[in-house]
Amino acid sequence: MNVKATLAVLGALLLSSGVVSRAEETEPKVITMDVSDEPGRISNDDVRIEDGPYKRQVVFYRTNAAPGTLVISTPERFLYLVLGDNRALRYGIGVGRQGFQWSGMVTITRRTAWPDWTPPPEMIARQPYLPRFMAGGPGNPMGARALYLGATVYRIHGTNQPETIGQAISSGCFRLANGDIADLYERVLLGTKVIVRQAKEL
Amino acid sequence: MRAIVLGALLVAALDLSGCLSTTIGGLTSPLAPTPGTGDAPAPYSADKLVGAWGVASYREEKDRVRTEAQARAQCRLPYVIKRGPTDGVIMHVADDTTPHELALKKGTDGKVYLGFAGPPGDSQDRVILSITDKEFVTRYVDPDTNTRYGTFVYVRCGKA
Repeated sequence: MNVKATLAVLGALLLSSGVVSRAEETEPKVITMDVSDEPGRISNDDVRIEDGPYKRQVVFYRTNAAPGTLVISTPERFLYLVLGDNRALRYGIGVGRQGFQWSGMVTITRRTAWPDWTPPPEMIARQPYLPRFMAGGPGNPMGARALYLGATVYRIHGTNQPETIGQAISSGCFRLANGDIADLYERVLLGTKVIVRQAKEL
Repeated sequence: MRAIVLGALLVAALDLSGCLSTTIGGLTSPLAPTPGTGDAPAPYSADKLVGAWGVASYREEKDRVRTEAQARAQCRLPYVIKRGPTDGVIMHVADDTTPHELALKKGTDGKVYLGFAGPPGDSQDRVILSITDKEFVTRYVDPDTNTRYGTFVYVRCGKA
């Protein structure tokens, strides 16, 4: 099945699931980078965002979510780990590009260090010299850690392209710099609730 | 049904390249020793590489066995190696979408290299680590390329 057909079918699944919904077509303008993945480019797990808004930091955050919950704000490009007392640990993230964004509530169902990566056929067609499977490692676009979201194929994972943090570039996954996903990984357990939000919060 | 499925679509382009040089005609290499001039014939024919292969890569030895299994599984999207017009095979080198004719070359170090015609051990060469009728294992000579892509396992498709 080609990609467009796959997306059409899966879009219907998303909308009928009651758990996850597609972004509204009328959502605010999204800055989308047309940046490609770079399999083989090295980024170790000590690479983190060092400054600016996407640097990992404790922020004021008012929410009803219980401490330990992850809240992902796609429009803001932030992932919040709720700490309680109106505070959260905030990470900068890369999100899905337009048409690949979603919202809903899921749980962490699997945690993996240095996950494997299988390039999609479209990528193999463009870069035929790539291996069809790449075991986890610093050159892997999946990065240093992966947190699997429910029964979906979406993940919160690292990246070997830390400069894409803050951008809408992925196919629906959420990416953090490898050092930041490694930090988050140590703080998040299986079963952790994850709330993915589309609309800007008041 | 609460399952949600969406295939990840990734597109790519690489602009990476190795920067090592090698010894040619007795000139000193600043970065890597050369395994020889490549006059010796390889101990096996390039025909041994011709066919359809499942390809996977790994970096750590602990991942080798499962990478072999993954390579076998990748026969649904095989890498096809054809015979070239001058006794070589048509394959890709790292980060280059254009297929080239590559030759097997035996170095003075006893290793067999796969790459462009010329001295074995060039930075664009692969070294054949092992080979049987059903599988061969290679890695790129260039340390940077090897670090980025790891060790490649090719498992022949279509034969048990």
